[in-house]
Amino acid sequence: MTGTEEKAAPEARGKTWQPLIAVADLEKGDVTPVTLGRRALAVYDTVDGIFVSLARCTHGGADLCDGYFDGRHIECPLHQGLFDARTGKPLAAPARVPLRMIEARVVDGQVQVLL
Amino acid sequence: MAEAVLTPITQALQEGALSRKELKALMQRSDRPTLIRLAIWLALLIVTGGMITLAMDSWLLWPAMFLHGILLVHLFSLEHECVHYTPFRTRWLNDVAGNICGFVIALPFQFFRYEHCDHHTYTQLKGRDPELIELPISVWKYLWYVSSLPYWWAKVKEFARHAAGRLSQDDRTFVPKEAEAAVIREARVMLGLYAAILIASAVSGWWGAIWYWWLPVALGEPVMRAIRLTEHVGRPNVRDMRENTRTNLVSAPSSFLCWNMNYHAEHHYASSVPYHALPRLHEKLQGYVYVEPRGYLGAHLDILSQLTGRKRRSDDRPAEGMSLE
Repeated sequence: MTGTEEKAAPEARGKTWQPLIAVADLEKGDVTPVTLGRRALAVYDTVDGIFVSLARCTHGGADLCDGYFDGRHIECPLHQGLFDARTGKPLAAPARVPLRMIEARVVDGQVQVLL
Repeated sequence: MAEAVLTPITQALQEGALSRKELKALMQRSDRPTLIRLAIWLALLIVTGGMITLAMDSWLLWPAMFLHGILLVHLFSLEHECVHYTPFRTRWLNDVAGNICGFVIALPFQFFRYEHCDHHTYTQLKGRDPELIELPISVWKYLWYVSSLPYWWAKVKEFARHAAGRLSQDDRTFVPKEAEAAVIREARVMLGLYAAILIASAVSGWWGAIWYWWLPVALGEPVMRAIRLTEHVGRPNVRDMRENTRTNLVSAPSSFLCWNMNYHAEHHYASSVPYHALPRLHEKLQGYVYVEPRGYLGAHLDILSQLTGRKRRSDDRPAEGMSLE
C-alpha cells in the first residue's frame, strides 16, 4: 500500500516517478534514511503504508531518521517535536511547520517518489 | 525550513559508535519500568513523610525534612525525562507527570520544555545555552550557587514576570511567540494554586504543605543544585559533545533517584533514549564520552581544583558558539 495515489499527469508539473529504494531494504515498521541526489529523504513504513518526507525536522533541522517512530508518528531526535508521518502534520511542540511530504508509490517491490 | 544540523546521535552513527539497529532498540518506550520506579519512589516518600510526622516535636524534624526534600527535589529528574517524552510510552502520561513534577518543585513544565530545547541545541555555549551554569569565579561563588539562594531568587523573578504577562528578552530567545500565552497562563495557574493551598492551610490551621512539601523542597534543593553542577560545569564551553558534558558513575541509589541522569553525556548524545536504557547506551559509547569515574564527588573535586588554581579553568580558552555557522 502506498501513502499517496498518483495524481493525473504528473509530468505536466515537471515531475517524474523516480526509483528510491526496494521495499525489502526498508527498516521494517520503522523509518529509513535514503538519499536521492542531494535530497535526504525519510521513508516511513507506517501502519497505513509507505510514506516519504524530507528527512530534516522543520524546527531544528535534525535528521528525523534517527528519531523514535511508533508506526504513525515520527519524533525528532533532538527536541522530541512530533509529526504525523503520514501527513506531515506537526502534532506537538516545538514542531510547528508541517513536514514536506513527497508523493510515493510502490511498483514491483520498489518505492518510487514523484520529484 | 530549518537548516540542517548534525545532531550528536547522527554524528555517533556516522562515526560508527553504534549502529542504527542498536539505537532503535535503545529508543523503545515502555510505561512499566517507570510505573514500578514511581511506586518505589512513592513508598520511600511515605517513609520519609512518616519520619517527619514522628519527629515533629524534636530537632530530628530538620534532618527528616531534609531527607524528604532530597526525594522531592529529584522530581526534577523525572520532569526532565518527561520533557523528552521518554519515561512513558503513552505520550500524554509524560505531560501529566511532567506538569505534576513541575508543580511540586516550582518548575513550570511548558517553560522548562522550551528552555531545555535550546539547552540541547546549544549545550554549554556561552550566550546561547539558557541553562548554562558558568564555572564560578571563586569557592565562595560556588558555595553561593549550591546554597540555592540565587536559584530561588531567579524563580521568584521568573514567576512574577510571567504572571504579570511579561517575558524577558532572554525568555524570548527560546519561547516562540505562539507559546508565550501558554507560558504566562502556566505561571498564573501555578501561582493561583500555590495561593489557594496557602489560604486553605490558613483557614484549616493545618500546615502540612509547609512541613511535608515547601520546607523539605527548600532544604533539599542544594542537593539538586550540587548534582546539576556535575553535568556540565567545569567542562569546556565548546560544541563537541565528547568534551562539554560529564557522565558521573554514581551509586545505585543515586542513579535510581536521578532516573539515570548521571549518564548525562549519553543523554545528550541521544535524548530520545529513555532513562532505563542509558546504562546500555553508556556501554555502547565507552571511550566516546567524558566519564568521571569518581562520581559526583569527583566532579566537585574537579570543579574545586579549577576554582583554587590547581587545575586550568575550563573556561580559560576561547569560547565557541555565538552562532551556529
